[in-house]
Amino acid sequence: MDNRLIFEKSDEGRKSNYVKKPAIELKEPGQILPANLLREALPLPSLGELEVVRHYTNLSKLNFSLDTNFYPLGSCTMKYNPKINEELSSLEGFLNIHPFQSEACLSGALELIYNLEALLSEITGMKRFSFQASSGAQGELTGMLMIRKYHKVMKNKKRKVIVPDSSHGTNPATSSMCGYETVVVESNPDGLIDLDKLSKVVDGETAAIMLTNPNTLGLFEENILEVADIIHKNGGLLYYDGANFNALLGITTPRLMGFDVIHLNLHKTFSTPHGCGGPGAGAVGVVDRLTDFLPAPVIDKKKDKFYFNYKIKHSIGKVRAFYGNFSVLVRAYVYLLRLGREGLLRVSQNAVLNANYIREKLKNDYNVASNKPSMHEVVFSCTRQKEKGVPALDIAKRLIDYGMHPPTMYFPLIVKEALMVEPTETESRKTLDYFIDCMLKINREIEQNAQTLHDAPHTTPVKRVDEVRAARNPDLRWRFSAK
Amino acid sequence: MPYILNTENDTGEMLRAAGLKSLSDLYSHLPSKIKISGEPNIPSGLSEQETGQFVKGLAEKNKILNSFNSFLGAGVYNHYIPSALKPLISRAEFLTAYTPYQAECSQGILQAIYEYQSYICLLTGMDVSNASLFDAGSSLSESVLMSLRITKRSKVVISSAINPEYKKTLYTYLSGFNFKIQEIDFNKDGATDIDLLREALDDNTACFALQSPSFFGIIEDTEKFSSLAKEKSALTILVANPMSLALLKEPANCGIDIVCGDGQVLGGSLSLGGPSFGFLATKNEYLRQMPGRIVGKSVDREGKPAYCLTLQAREQHIKREKATSNICSNQSLNAIQSAIYLSLMGKAGLRDCALYSLNLAHYLYEKLKEIDKVKLNFSRNFFNEFIWQADNGKNIVKKLYKEKIIAGLSLDGVSPKLKNGILSCCTETKTKEQIDSFIETLRNILG
Repeated sequence: MDNRLIFEKSDEGRKSNYVKKPAIELKEPGQILPANLLREALPLPSLGELEVVRHYTNLSKLNFSLDTNFYPLGSCTMKYNPKINEELSSLEGFLNIHPFQSEACLSGALELIYNLEALLSEITGMKRFSFQASSGAQGELTGMLMIRKYHKVMKNKKRKVIVPDSSHGTNPATSSMCGYETVVVESNPDGLIDLDKLSKVVDGETAAIMLTNPNTLGLFEENILEVADIIHKNGGLLYYDGANFNALLGITTPRLMGFDVIHLNLHKTFSTPHGCGGPGAGAVGVVDRLTDFLPAPVIDKKKDKFYFNYKIKHSIGKVRAFYGNFSVLVRAYVYLLRLGREGLLRVSQNAVLNANYIREKLKNDYNVASNKPSMHEVVFSCTRQKEKGVPALDIAKRLIDYGMHPPTMYFPLIVKEALMVEPTETESRKTLDYFIDCMLKINREIEQNAQTLHDAPHTTPVKRVDEVRAARNPDLRWRFSAK
Repeated sequence: MPYILNTENDTGEMLRAAGLKSLSDLYSHLPSKIKISGEPNIPSGLSEQETGQFVKGLAEKNKILNSFNSFLGAGVYNHYIPSALKPLISRAEFLTAYTPYQAECSQGILQAIYEYQSYICLLTGMDVSNASLFDAGSSLSESVLMSLRITKRSKVVISSAINPEYKKTLYTYLSGFNFKIQEIDFNKDGATDIDLLREALDDNTACFALQSPSFFGIIEDTEKFSSLAKEKSALTILVANPMSLALLKEPANCGIDIVCGDGQVLGGSLSLGGPSFGFLATKNEYLRQMPGRIVGKSVDREGKPAYCLTLQAREQHIKREKATSNICSNQSLNAIQSAIYLSLMGKAGLRDCALYSLNLAHYLYEKLKEIDKVKLNFSRNFFNEFIWQADNGKNIVKKLYKEKIIAGLSLDGVSPKLKNGILSCCTETKTKEQIDSFIETLRNILG
C-alpha cells in the first residue's frame, strides 16, 4: 500500500470542478478587497477524486473498529452502534436545518430533543436535561459550573471538590477548570470509597464530590447512600460521572443513589458511535433544586408547540454555540425507541453477565483487582505476569495479534499493571470465549516465549511505535517545503 | 430484544459458570433501598420498521433550509458537499473506532488526524494544530485559557463583534475564575474600534481576542490589532473562518498567536449547529500549553514511519487536576471529514468556493445598494456576509419569509446600534437568479 501522506500525492494541474460558476461577472479578490488583507499563495494539494477515495479507504483499513474487531476497551462502552441510527440521523430533515431558523421550521427537531429528555429523565430520575455538552468532560464542566453557581447564589462558601483516587482524570481536571481545589480521597483495599477517610476530608467548604458508579474498578459503591449523607449534611452536592451507567439501566437511578447533577455519555451507554474519539454528547441532568442553573436554552412546550426557553433564572450561560451535537442526539433517541422499557434492563444485565463471565474464566490465571463483585467491567492486575517479566502492556499488544483491540491499560491508576476489560452486552459468548482463550494462551506464552510478547504486535502495518521519540522530537505536521 | 446475542441457553450456562442462579443475582449486593421496583415508565421497544416510520415523521416536520431561498449564515454555512465525502467518512473503520490509544492498530486514524493537523497549519500558516475541540465556542474559550496560562495575567480583552454564541460560551468557561473580561465595541464602519483597544490594554492583559471575518462579516485589519497587543506583551487570538482563509492572508503573517474557530464550513452539514468541530493552531513556543489530543509522527521499532498520540503529559488522564484542559473526547470524525473535504476540493476547488461566495455576496450588496430604503453603513471589506438595515427590519424578514425567502439573521437585540439590522450571507450554493428574486421581492415589500 502507498502510505505516503495525501500531500505527497498531489499533482498540480488537477482540478475538481465540484461547484458551479456563478452567472455574474467574476472579480478577483484583489478587485474587491484591499491587497493587504489577501494571501499570496494557497499551499494546498491538488488531487483527483479516485486518489482521495483510495487514500482514505486504505487508511480506514489500517484501523481496528467495533464493526471489525472485539473492542473491550474499559470505561469506553464499545457496544454495537445500530445502523438504523446512522440512517435516521442522516435524514435530510435533520441534516439540512439551521440553528437560526425559526422554531416553527425546527419543530420536528425540537420535539425529538424534548422526547429524548423525557426518556432520560425517567431512566435517571433527574428532573431536567441539557444537551449542549459535546462530550462527557464537557458535561462535567457544565454540571460543575452549575454546582458552583448554585453555591454562589445560595451564598455557600465552598472551596473544594472531592474525588476518589480511582476517578477518571477528567474529574479533577474539571474541578480545576471550575476554580475549585481538588481533594483526593484514598480508596479502601477493596477499591471502594473509604467512609472514614471521606468523613475526615468533608467539611462545610466541600462544594461537591464527583463519583462514577460503578467506579473505575468496575465495582458498585455499596455505601453510596452513606456517602450521599456525609456530603449532603455538609451542604455539598453529588456529581455523577455517568461513564459507567451501562451497568445500571433499569436497576437503579442516579436519583435513587442520591446524586444531584449527572452527565450521561450518549456515545457510551446510548450506542452512538465513537468516531475515532468524537463527536459524542454529554447529556447533563439535574434534580429539581438545580433546574434554575441549566445552560440556556432548554426546550419546552406550550400548547403543542415546542420552543427554546431562555428564561432560566440563574443559568450558567452556554457551554457551546447553538444546541449541542444534534445528530448524536438523534442516534441516542432512535436507540432508546428500539430498546424500550424491557430492553433497558436486558442491556445492563447482559453487560454485567458478560464481564463476570470473563472474570470467572480468567480469575485463576490473572489477579482480579478486587474481591468485590464486578459490574459491567472487570479490572485485572497483571502483577503475576509482570513478575515473570511481562508487563500489562505486552499482553495488551499481543491481543492485537489475535485480532482484538486491547483493554484499557494502566487505569485506574491505583491498580498495578491494570487491564480493564469491558465486553459490553452486545458481544456473544463465542466472542468472549475466544478472548478468554487468547488471554490464557498469552499467559502460557509467557513461559514458552516471552520475547514474542515483548515484540508484539507482529501482524500490524507498523510494529511497536516509539512514543518517547514522538514526544521528544515533535513532528506534528507536514510542510510543503519538505518535499 | 435487539442487539443482544446471548441466547437463553448462553445466559444459563454463563450464570452457572459464574456460580449464580439468575440475572438478578448479579445485583444482589446493591442496597435494596436504591433498586427500582418494576420497570421504568417508558414505552415498549419498537421494531426497526416502526422506529423508522416514526422518526422519519419527526424529520419531515422540519422545514429544511434548502426548501427556502436562504441567506442565513451567522456561524453555520450552507456549502456544497462533494458526494465522495459521505461514503468515506461513513466507513465503519473510522465511524466505530475509539480514540487511537493503541497506535499499532490505529495507523489510519492517526495518519488522517496528522493530515488534518497539517491542513489546519497550511490554511492558517501556524506551526502546530491540535486534533480538534468541540466547536468555535469551546476553541475560543480554550485559546483564552491558554493565553492566561502562558502570560500568567488575569485580564481578557475581546472584540464585541465576535459571534454572540461564542462569546456566551467564553463567559461560561471563564466563570469559575476571577478573570476580568472587557469587551471592545465596534466603530461606525462595523470594525472593532482600535482606539478603544488601545485604552483597554494594560500590563495585566493576557490577550486580545477578535473574529475575522467578524460576526458582521467584516474582515478586520488583524495586523494592526496584533501589533498593538504586542506592545503590552499580550497575545492576539483570532477566530477565523477556514473557508475564508482560501483567500485571506494567513493569520500567522498577521502577528496572530493563536488561531481558533469552527470547521463546519469544511464539509460539515448544518445539522442544527452540531456536530461540527473546533480547531486550534498556535506557534511552536506555545505547543505545551495547547489543550486536547495531538498526533505526532515517529517510527516503529524497525524504523518505519509510524504515528501516535503524543505530548500526553499535558492531558487529564496523566496530569489530572494540573492538566491543560479536561478535554478527552473531541470531534475527531468531523476533523477527519474536513481533511477529506479539503483533499477532494483541492487548492483550486476550495479557492473557487471562497471566490464565488465572495463575489455573490458582493453582488447582493451592490443590488441592495440600489434600493433607496436599504442602508448599508458598514465597511465593504466583507467576505461572504454583511449587515444591511431597513426600517422595521424584523417585519421585512417576516414578510420575505412568507415568500419562502430567508433574508438572513435579524439582529434586533444583539446591540442597540444594530436595530433593524439583517445579516445576510451568500455561499457558492447561491445563484444569480436566487439573489435577483430576493431583490425583486424586497423591492415589492419596501414599495
